[in-house]
Formats: sequence, C-alpha cells, structure tokens
Amino acid sequence: MLGAALASASAVVLGQSAATNPDWPTYGGDLGNTRYRAFDQINASNFKDLDVAWRFKTDNLGNRAEYKLEGTPLVVNGVLYATGGTRRDVFALDAASGELLWVHGEHEGERGANAPRGLSGRGVAYWTDGKDARILYTTPGYKLVALDAKTGQYAKGFGVNGVVDLKLNDDQKIDLVKGSIGTQAAPVVAANEVIVGAAFVDGGSTSSKTTYKGYVRAFDVRTGKRLWIFHTVPQKGEFGYDTWLNGSAEYSGNTGMWTQVSVDPELGLAYLPIELPPGDDYGGNRPGNTLFSESLVCVDLKTGKRKWHYQFVHHGLWDMDIATPPILGDIQVNGKTIKAVAVPTKQSMLYVFDRVTGEPVWPIEEKPVAKGDVPGEWYSPTQPFPTKPAAYDRNGISEDDLIDFTPKLRSDALDLIKSYAIGPVFSPPVLSKVGGPLALLTLGTNNGGTNWPGGSFDPETHLLFVSSCSSCVVSIGMVAAPKEVSDMGYVKGTAGQPVVARMAGTGAGAGADAIAAAAKNPKTVPTQPPGGGTLFRALTVSGLPLIKPPYGRLTAIDMDHGEIKWQIPFGPTPDAVHNSPLLKGMKIPPTGETGLSVGSLATKTLLIAGDGTVGTSAAGVRGTVLHAYDKLTGKEVGTVPLPAPQTGSPMTYMLNGKQYIVVAVGGATYSGEYIAFTLPAQ
Amino acid sequence: MRSRYPLNRFAALLILVFGVLVAVLKAQESPHSLWDGVYTQEQAKRGEAAYGERCARCHGTDLMSGDSVPPLAGADFLSTWNTKTVGDLFDRIRTSMPADQPGTLNRQQSADIVAYLLSANKFPAGKTELATQSDSLKQIQFDAFKQ
Repeated sequence: MLGAALASASAVVLGQSAATNPDWPTYGGDLGNTRYRAFDQINASNFKDLDVAWRFKTDNLGNRAEYKLEGTPLVVNGVLYATGGTRRDVFALDAASGELLWVHGEHEGERGANAPRGLSGRGVAYWTDGKDARILYTTPGYKLVALDAKTGQYAKGFGVNGVVDLKLNDDQKIDLVKGSIGTQAAPVVAANEVIVGAAFVDGGSTSSKTTYKGYVRAFDVRTGKRLWIFHTVPQKGEFGYDTWLNGSAEYSGNTGMWTQVSVDPELGLAYLPIELPPGDDYGGNRPGNTLFSESLVCVDLKTGKRKWHYQFVHHGLWDMDIATPPILGDIQVNGKTIKAVAVPTKQSMLYVFDRVTGEPVWPIEEKPVAKGDVPGEWYSPTQPFPTKPAAYDRNGISEDDLIDFTPKLRSDALDLIKSYAIGPVFSPPVLSKVGGPLALLTLGTNNGGTNWPGGSFDPETHLLFVSSCSSCVVSIGMVAAPKEVSDMGYVKGTAGQPVVARMAGTGAGAGADAIAAAAKNPKTVPTQPPGGGTLFRALTVSGLPLIKPPYGRLTAIDMDHGEIKWQIPFGPTPDAVHNSPLLKGMKIPPTGETGLSVGSLATKTLLIAGDGTVGTSAAGVRGTVLHAYDKLTGKEVGTVPLPAPQTGSPMTYMLNGKQYIVVAVGGATYSGEYIAFTLPAQ
Repeated sequence: MRSRYPLNRFAALLILVFGVLVAVLKAQESPHSLWDGVYTQEQAKRGEAAYGERCARCHGTDLMSGDSVPPLAGADFLSTWNTKTVGDLFDRIRTSMPADQPGTLNRQQSADIVAYLLSANKFPAGKTELATQSDSLKQIQFDAFKQ
C-alpha cells in the first residue's frame, strides 16, 4: 500500500494548490507556514460532535514520560510521521487508526546529555522524488538523520549511513561531545534540499559571552552534502561584520535560527528568522547593532546568499528574538497584489514586507527610545516601529494595565510596582537595586506576546490569525556577575539575592540521554546557596494576576488593509480569578488565559486552537477544550474537550473521505499525547 | 466442649479489631484539604532551601520568572493544580524534576519542596509534616481556593 502511495506523494508548495492538498507534508502545512487547509467537512455545525479517532501516548519513547510535546505531525498518503518522548524518537503511524508502523531513536550518550534542547522537538521533514521517500529530523545531539519513510531504516546514500553530523562542517570548531548546540525545530525540505538552524541554552544568565554561532545550513536531501551556509554572525570581510563593534563578532555566538524557516519555492527564496546573541538582556560585550540578530533574512534558496534583510530590534536587550515562523501569503493592498511575508513577534507587532524586495508593505519608522543605566551597556538610540497593523497586544506596562477589579486590589498593585520600573516597549532593563527598582517589569519580551507557535493565514480572505499572551509579565533586573558565575559582567538577577547561571525550560539537559547520565551519577550540584530568608516575591496581587484582563488574546488581522478585523479573549478564565473570594459576587467577563501563546489552524470556515491552560470556559465549564471559531467573526461555534492543554499546534488532513485534526497535549499530571479527532460514522 | 480458640487468641483478635478501629478513626481525622494545614513551617523552610538549590535555576527565585518554565506561584499554578491532589504534584516533582536531573530528589526533599510551594502560595501551615508516600498525599485534595 505504502509504496504505491509514495509514488503519488504530494508536493510541498504554497498558495491555492497547498490549500487543497489532502496531506500535511511539512511542519506549517505548506512552506509558507500558513497552517491552512480549505477543508470544510468539519465545520461549525458538527465541530462539537468530533470523536477521538485515536490517541498516541509518547511515554515510552524515552526513559521517562515527557510533558512538553510540541510537535506538529506530518501526514503523507495515509501515514503520519512525528517526533515524541524524551529521546525524540521518530515514529510512523497509520493515520486512520493510529497503529504504530515503525519507530526510530538515537542513543547519543554523553553527547545527547549535553544537548541544549533535549526532549521531543517539533517534528520532521518529508521528501520524495516520486520513487524514494525520506523522513528527516535532527537528534537532540545535533545530528541530521534521514530515514526511509516506508521502513524507518537509515536512508541509503545520505551522509554516513544515513546521518550527517551537524557539529561538523559548520565553519567553526565544535566539540563533538561537549559542544552545546542543537535545535528542536523541525527541519524543512524544499527543492531537494533540507534546511537546518541551531539553538543554544537560554541566554538570560549565560555563563559566557563566548558561545558557538548559530549558522544556517542547507544539505542535499539525497546525499547529505552541504550546499550552503549562511553566517548569521558575519565573518570578517562579510557584510554586517562591522556592526559588531570592538571585534565582538569574533567571540559572540548564538544568533541562531531556532524557530521554523519559510520558503517560497517559486521565487527560490528562503526566509530565516534569527534570534539575538548573548546575553538575552545584557549587550555590553556585543556593542553595536549586531547583524543579523533579531533580523528576518531573505536568502537565495540555491546558494544561501543574502537577498535582503530587516532588523526588527537593534541591539536587543529583551530576548524578543524572532520566535515565530514567517508567514508567506499574497495580499491586495490598494488594488495591488503583493507577495508578502508577515512575522508575528513576542513584542506583538506584526512586521509585513514585500517578500521579493524586502520593502515594508506599510512604513516602519525609526523612533527614539530611552537609554538605561546598566554599566558597560551599549544602547541603540532608536528602534523600528511598524505603523501598520497596530500592535495586536500589550508590549509594555503602564499603570492603566494593572489589575482594577476593586480599588483595594488596584492600590495594592500600585504599591507592588513601586519597587519596580515600568514603561513602554523597548524600555531599557535596569540595574537591580535593593532599594528599588528591583527590575523592569515587561510584557511582550522573552515569553511574548506571540512565542514559537506563531500564527496562521487564510489565503482566501487574507486574514492572519495570531494568539498572544497579554499578561505574561517578565521582570528584567541586571546584577553584576561574579567571575565564577559568568564572564558576561552583568546577568539577569535581583539585588540582594544570590547570582546564579539561570536555565530555561527549553529542554537543556532534560532528554533521555541526560536522564541516563544523571542516573549513573546521581551526585547533585547545588545551583544556589540555601535561601536563609524568604526568596519569594510574587508578582501577583492577593494571588491574582498583576495585569488586568484580558490575559490572553486571539486576533484576526485583515492583511489587505493592515487592520485588526476581530480580537477576542482567548483561553479559559483562571481558577484563581473565577474562584477568588475577593471577587465573590462580581460578574467577571471571560478573561482569557494567562499562559503562553498557542498555535492555530485555519480551514475553509473555521479557526481552530486549543486552550493552553486549565480553567473555566465562557460557558462556565471547567477544563480544557479545542475551540472552533467562525474565522470571519471570531464567534465561537464549537468546542471539544481535551484531557490536557494544547502543547503543539493543531494540523489537519483528509484520508479516505474523512477529515482529521491532530493536536499534541500534555502538562501537569498528563504526559505528552497526540490525539486525532474526526467526525463519528453516520 | 472446650473452644478451639483459647482466650488469649480471642483477646488478641479483640485488640486487633480495636487497633483497626482507632486507625480508621485517626485517618478520618487527618486533614484532607490544603486549608487544614497539611505541612509545617519547619518543613517549608527546609523546602525553601531545597528549592533554592534545585529549582530556582529554572523557575526563578520569585517562582514565576522563568523562560518557557511553568510558574509555581499565582494564577497559572493554582489553576493547573486545582482539583488534583498534593500527591500528584509530589509525584510530578519526584519523577521529573529537576528537568536536567530527574529522579535525583528523594521523597523527603520532594515533600519539603511541595511544602515550600504551598507556603509560597499562602496555604496555611499546620502541626504535621507532609508525608513522603504518594498514596497518602493523594488523599489531600489540591483545593486551590477556599470554599
């Protein structure tokens, strides 16, 4: 069955032909990451009737259960391919029944244990030439593996026995075992090449200013031969090198592409969303605007040569990165068709360009921004502000944003922020002082706003959909770092508290190999001296969020006019609000959720997205659901219960005349699981 | 006819029945809500130190300032664990944390850290420490909000 099916395998393209593709052959549905299909079997009238077609629990894909399943599966000709588990195993399922067809995992030992991005990753890439068919993925230890799509065996003729060691041939010397570089993104295949980026440990309180560089590379999907490399930190003599002052490009690293790449195969262009160099909030060691940090870089798909670029943040101090997959779509502006690329961001500003020329579709203005007081820091005097569309969520904090359910709660909030600095987007981080300010309180920085799940786009109505956190407060205080903690000079921290090298929840050292290593050597390393006093300083007011509702939003943007078409609170009302004795008797409208942004799926008539947290729905039901909205109005038209919050973005496919929706869920006590929904048999 | 069961056996049986009754009554008296004081201040203090050593690196000293890390205080945390049990939280910590060295916290440390989290989230302390057995902790409902 499979052999015949592969012979007619679907093309990975953009636009209308992708919209009707029954398969989902690449992470974002198509190479433009629209996450759109023009299916309407599942629609407003029947969404609530969806049944579970099958479930796939990922607990045994690794040596313990995983709670951070972020993958979007692919489906090609009746077979579903995905990653899962603490070992990031790849598996193939019968897409109708969920039956396991094959599974592949790599035991990488100490190399895997040192991975900066462990755990299950976001998925795989698919390639076929009509005869041969391959699945490609990156291991936590940074190897690119090609597998025969039919059998799961190593693909013949690719790299060394089916594997390309990504720590080699990277224009820098990387320790094969200890070198901390990896990626959790799904690789992307276009025009017989596979594109791979790089990610690192979190840069909030990084131990060193010297790190590996996150170059982007493309490999021949048949042989594994490197086709091109793009130096995200330019080498001496290359364009942009002189934007790193004092020769800081020599030792500065990261600046990787850790999220998904987008490709327009017809134009022969790839769009690389690039993060910032270390530290996330301190740039004293990397003076200058440091291209191509926090830039969208358009390169030639065949050569990797830069066509154009645009820097969203100059000399970033907020960990804004570019976290989302660029969305490619054709729009009509003032009667003219524009091939556009649109990028939602953590700072909740949508950056829209002509994707051929790199010209902003609506002007982006450089405006002066404030300077800070952190010793040794270099400040950009201006930052770019898109004039259209308007920011779709909060990206700074003013007193108007604070909790205001009651006068008492509001005055408590005003008291709390007396110890902190607040301000609009691009306000500078502060030097933390015991007498205050302890930190700058921010929205739209390292948590977002819109984080890695990104948005979706409807090529018929030209609506772009994006979820964002409206209340994910991040405090940024800077403290001098003792040499034994970091050579950065200043790292994130709070005055009066121990300075530690912080880690993030991005899976560093959390994969199956790390667990095996920890089990062998269970000696623990204290990461911070005992508190000896209360460490706890809650950024809440009587257990309620410091920021007033809505806590999270879902927005549709009319891309022909650069206007917000509709916007609703997204996600359930937190129990902390719904059940608060302080709010008893008050009628609180649905607040939306306080969690990070979630991914969405657009169809012929619906916009589909699952709750990212547990709480109480607008209908008064406690739990977690997958929502369907009328995509034109934002009106909810149906829900289906989920056993746990959505952790990966939903996808859809047609098989044997039936439409399926698959979504990854997990969290708290519920380990990672893929769930497939379809309509019940008539 | 002489009983096949001598008196001392009968007495032993009585004592056993009495013992079981006492145990059952005691169990019924034990707290089953977070609001009854299910941990001690001393235990929370130990937990705070353990938290600083093992958890703060990712979850932050304020329990909610991590990058891509679930907050351990405030609305999200309370909503996530509400209606589950203290044992569920205990087991999640014990089996999967710290994320880069899971399984290296023993039962006592895990229970102490739970006590600290309860204290930080303003649940009252009591006179008895949290137990270290999952089954017993699963008897304590995570009633995040006082009814």
